Amino acid sequence: MDVKNKWDIIIVGAGPAGSAAGYTLAKKGFDVLILERGRQPGYKELFGGRVYAEPLKKIYGNELSGAPIHRWVKKEKLSFVDGNKLVSLEYQSDTSTSFTTYLPQLAKWMADKASEAGALLVEEVTVDRILYKDGKVVGVGSGPDEAYADLVIDAEGVNRLLLEGLGLVEKLKPEQVAIGAKETIKLGEDKINERFGLSKGEGMAWLLMGSITDYIPGGAFVYTNKDSVSIGLVLHLGHAIKEVKEHISQMVEKLRLHPQLRNLWIDGDIMEYGGHLTPEAGPAMMPKKLALNGLLITGDAGGLLLNVGYTIRGVDFAAYTGYLAAEAAIEAHEKGGFTESNLSVYEKKLRDSFVYKDLTRLTGMQDLYSDAKMFKALPKLAVGTASRVFEIGLETPGIWNSFTQARKEAGFGLFSLAWKGYKLMKKM
Amino acid sequence: MSQEQSKQDVKPMKIDDILQRDVWDVDLEPHITVDSSKCEKCPTKPCLYLCPAGCYVLAGNKVVFSYEGCVECGTCRVICPMNAITWHYPKSGKGIMFRFT
Repeated sequence: MDVKNKWDIIIVGAGPAGSAAGYTLAKKGFDVLILERGRQPGYKELFGGRVYAEPLKKIYGNELSGAPIHRWVKKEKLSFVDGNKLVSLEYQSDTSTSFTTYLPQLAKWMADKASEAGALLVEEVTVDRILYKDGKVVGVGSGPDEAYADLVIDAEGVNRLLLEGLGLVEKLKPEQVAIGAKETIKLGEDKINERFGLSKGEGMAWLLMGSITDYIPGGAFVYTNKDSVSIGLVLHLGHAIKEVKEHISQMVEKLRLHPQLRNLWIDGDIMEYGGHLTPEAGPAMMPKKLALNGLLITGDAGGLLLNVGYTIRGVDFAAYTGYLAAEAAIEAHEKGGFTESNLSVYEKKLRDSFVYKDLTRLTGMQDLYSDAKMFKALPKLAVGTASRVFEIGLETPGIWNSFTQARKEAGFGLFSLAWKGYKLMKKM
Repeated sequence: MSQEQSKQDVKPMKIDDILQRDVWDVDLEPHITVDSSKCEKCPTKPCLYLCPAGCYVLAGNKVVFSYEGCVECGTCRVICPMNAITWHYPKSGKGIMFRFT
């Protein structure tokens, strides 16, 4: 870090949270240093494939149209998979609120926006400690180097080694996170349009549950990018450590080669493969405080990601919490400084925003999804019913009879099914 | 397409071959160290299945670890039942470089 040594604000990590904070603060004229451990912003980042746009519009306004957007999602698909059979629900629309992209591209764009606004971005610096002195955070360290600031914004990501080092959080537990593993398959723009029934610039988001993860709670995903598809799995680690039977890369390969799916991309080439942890626990993973003397905690490091089973919101949540942290810092500065009491307006802003409302309202839903028995039984019920209804021999089976047989085979009592369905609907 | 060909097309790729698609600038110094004496006593060894890069493999009854193909997800550190793993990020721009994730 052979740059100057004292800053108004140092941000750790040029991911969606850090860069959104840096952009917002630099625009206000703060002297901002963003430290990124990768050679380029985004090089250490991986997500499923889709970003919800509205929170980003709040931050970037019309400039968002210049972002590296691959396709606007106009087709949503949910599938239950049981062996080689699957049952799907598809939603198609002429409007869209989310887009697909490569996160490394989006992260680079967001970091460039922060730079253009006047923040100094320094890459290839792995911050390994947050400096704490006389009851407040005063800067960061990387090996022999130290840099000082009135405020540090922690946007270090899910592993949050720095917060652990400060004693603000304990080491992550398997129950708090999920592992995502993903392949990006190059296919060509026209082939994607033809095979997924999409027009130019239109995308699809597809989530699959059931035997596709060996019934380990989590799910599989397929997203269409401009000329590639992203396919992968998310497995709740608390379950996966007990239930996994084969290497996770081979599970991703089974998804790629699934008889009902493979023809969509069989002639494509794998361009890249990777894995990343994602917060799962919602409020249970949050540090006790997100604002301390001289420190704000944003994005995945704060556990501020929403997973409700049928969709995951990570990037937009991270970006928006970075933005709220910046707004809080601006207000705290006006009030006289980055003390805990002045910065605590960040927690209020989070509570008043969709971030905290969604997290507290919807996180319990994922408990229902990850109820291991239910997670196995639902796909069996859906596929079992459909296969009885549609695979007609001599006699045409009735729908209720098919459902009842499938329900019994899946091990559901009628009452317990109704009760779980009711609880799920209430959460939603 | 003949039965023969279709069988060839549907063969899963091994993790080592899949990882050929990725790009690293490998640090000379490992960013992860494993106390393999603890692994010997580990009853479940979840790292063998859940490290997405397959950095942990079994040789005989020993867990052999290599850091070069690590994608820096942190999974091994979270799941290790024996607390055998000392985990840091690689230094100064080293390690995995995701481009299309």
